[in-house]
Amino acid sequence: MNRKDIINFFKGLLEVTFKGGKAFYLWMSLLTLLLLIGLATYIHQLREGLIITNMRDQVSWGFYVSNFTFLVGIAAAAVLLIIPAYLYSFKPIKRIVIYGELLAISAVLTALLFLFVDFGKPERFWHAIPFIGTANFPYSILSWDMLVLNSYLFLNLFIVLYVGGRVYFGKEPDRRLLIPLILISIPLAVAVHTVTAFVYNGLSARPFWNASILAPRFLASAFCSGPALLIIIFKVLRRFSGFRIEEKALSKLAEIIAYAMAINIFLMLAEMYKEYYSNTIHLTSLKYLYEGLGEYRRFVFPIRFSMLLNLAGLIIFLIPATRKNPLSLNAGCVMIITGVWIEKGMGLVVPGFIPSPLGEIYEYMPSIREVFIALGIFSAGAMSYTLSLRAAIALETGRLRHPQAPPIIHEKEGLRARDIMTSDVIAVYPETPIEEVATLLLKYRISGIPVIDREERRVLGVVSESDIIYKEIHKDPELLERIGGIVLPAYRQTVKRGDTAGEIMSSPPVTAFPDTGLEELIGMITEKKIKRIIIVDSQGRLSGIVSRIDIVRAVEKEKIFFN
Amino acid sequence: MLSRRQFIKTGITLLGSLTLSSCLKQDIFREKFQELTGEEKKAFLKRLEERYERKYGIRINVDATPPLKDAVFGYGLDLSRCIGCRRCVYACMKENNQSRDIPIQWIRVMRIKKEDFNPSDFEHSEHYYSPEEVPEEGYIYIPIQCQQCERPACVKVCPTKATWKEPDGIVVIDYEWCIGCRCCMAACPYWARRFNWGEPYIPKEELNPYTHYYGNRPRMRGVVEKCTFCIQRTRKGRYPACVEACPVGARKFGNLLDPQSEIRYILDNFRVFRLKAELNTEPKFFYFFSLG
Repeated sequence: MNRKDIINFFKGLLEVTFKGGKAFYLWMSLLTLLLLIGLATYIHQLREGLIITNMRDQVSWGFYVSNFTFLVGIAAAAVLLIIPAYLYSFKPIKRIVIYGELLAISAVLTALLFLFVDFGKPERFWHAIPFIGTANFPYSILSWDMLVLNSYLFLNLFIVLYVGGRVYFGKEPDRRLLIPLILISIPLAVAVHTVTAFVYNGLSARPFWNASILAPRFLASAFCSGPALLIIIFKVLRRFSGFRIEEKALSKLAEIIAYAMAINIFLMLAEMYKEYYSNTIHLTSLKYLYEGLGEYRRFVFPIRFSMLLNLAGLIIFLIPATRKNPLSLNAGCVMIITGVWIEKGMGLVVPGFIPSPLGEIYEYMPSIREVFIALGIFSAGAMSYTLSLRAAIALETGRLRHPQAPPIIHEKEGLRARDIMTSDVIAVYPETPIEEVATLLLKYRISGIPVIDREERRVLGVVSESDIIYKEIHKDPELLERIGGIVLPAYRQTVKRGDTAGEIMSSPPVTAFPDTGLEELIGMITEKKIKRIIIVDSQGRLSGIVSRIDIVRAVEKEKIFFN
Repeated sequence: MLSRRQFIKTGITLLGSLTLSSCLKQDIFREKFQELTGEEKKAFLKRLEERYERKYGIRINVDATPPLKDAVFGYGLDLSRCIGCRRCVYACMKENNQSRDIPIQWIRVMRIKKEDFNPSDFEHSEHYYSPEEVPEEGYIYIPIQCQQCERPACVKVCPTKATWKEPDGIVVIDYEWCIGCRCCMAACPYWARRFNWGEPYIPKEELNPYTHYYGNRPRMRGVVEKCTFCIQRTRKGRYPACVEACPVGARKFGNLLDPQSEIRYILDNFRVFRLKAELNTEPKFFYFFSLG
């Protein structure tokens, strides 16, 4: 690796991360705007002090610390998804692990920013760093929390940079290094959230937090909000970029959410039972949260709303039909993220201070300036995630790659397209007359034929039986109207005329690469309701065809069963 | 060979980085006061005094008297005598240079109906009582300030060791080392700690110029503070300001290690109790009823 390589890499990186479509620029401008507003407000806070917030001695932690707590949950859950991927070898999730890790990195960074803006003397933050400052080990849980959060941050950063670097040079990551690192990141993910829970949990002065169920509840709720956020992110990515994700992986995530939410609600009920039935003086904070204390009831509506959202989310994700429906899946995700954000954010932090240890009640809601600063921080996090995602996708698709690196080979086990495809494929050119195409179809008893350009053999489209039928029927518009909708899948979207293959073909064709896995091929055929998939190389040139019968044969031969 | 221009350039860069690093050492990356040598401490205190003089225009004496040998301070509060007049609160405010515009008070006096009194629960307490006259029939008044716990919950949670228990039992805060994370405030079961949410303001003429580094020297925005048993007084053999201000003699103070002290007399002769004893914080602040 020389200097030129490095320059090239960064040039490429800048290009793939910062060059994008309209939606990308719009999104980034919005984030920049919010970031600037947040920054300006934070400068004001640095000048005036935390007096610009609504926190006071009675409620000494508020919106910042609430969001910190919520984000640690997101960070933990993003990596915990690795467990099903590696323990049960669930491949559809395996591919998205790296995106989860990227989310974890951005979430930890965002969480640490929230902690930072909450400090009264932020310029002294280094006092808390081991060796440089005077970290209070082993007593202070916040010291431990900062240690595990930073370890977690750097471990994930290392994994992501290492894998990214290897992919850039077209090399396989060394599994002897990668697997242990990933295995370490699992207990560390549990640790970051547990230790964050312990920061509150260990304070005997605050009975609301001093319940041993707190850490388990943290984890359960994180397992809801983290995957829910990932589902939304994947769906957005699928929409706006070349990112491909199998429906199966999404519904698996939704299933995890359902179990986690059921546990979360169970733990909440267990806590409520204990406090209400024993009815000691420690009940007051819980009462403040759920039913209000006399005229003080600012949290009652938000917390009940969040309970409703969580319950609705649980029902949506428990029922397979609503879990698989894209619309209700989206709604469920938004409900759960919001529900957990209220419950594990302000709903957890603020009631701990109400009433104060001396019985005083000070009702807290964030000031507009706190909200501005929080929005700025969230924008910073979203920005870092957006950019890192773009780099990751570019690496995965090969857009960002060392010029001398070998072409992409997807790491997949089992049968791939190249193993089952027919590579001796008959193709026609766009100017081939229809009659000739029909003759070919009949002669070789095939149902479709790819159309390629003469010079480079790039696949332009497919002429199938139905295209020909359409062409024939087209002469009789009345007949077409009667049967068109029944036999022709794409009838009404396109009105085709003409006498050559190029004029009547379906375009663009559904294509896959030679190394696309069998499962994915099956997914494409059933999802898009097509009969064949054209297999192309990375330049879009024809390499083969996988038809339904090829798949049936492969399944029969390999005795593979899919659930 | 260096050309003249290069020579000057290098010289300026070197000089600049030297001053910068020494500034950083003094003002940003300085060491913790506790860990300085005697000489360094003196120099540091002198710099502090100069800084205060520039800011307030008067000379403020900052000393760092170490703990007395063979002394652990204890406090007694006679609830049957307290009349809830809050004179202690204001005496404390003046003595300890507490912020006036965004008011900070280290002592909180609560009014509770006699039948509601519970040393572990203050849910029925009234903080902002203001009758024409105190005391009132049927009520007792409970002043609370830092309880100087033997096992302080606040010290345990501090992520920077900016607060600790001194050998004389006083829990102190290094205002130069506190990062303002407020963990200690969440951890204190007695709500004894206060935060400087904004820039504290004290009129020049009301400043108490006799201060201690860990005690009543003027604080800054963004750090936590609390009662130190008037460390600037008690380490020199004087009573805390609240003890002197109490008009009914409800406040008692002394050396727990000295069998002749008043506080030992109280421990030996009255049924004393501590607040929230179930939390095992072991305050050195004892409440009792001497009458009735």
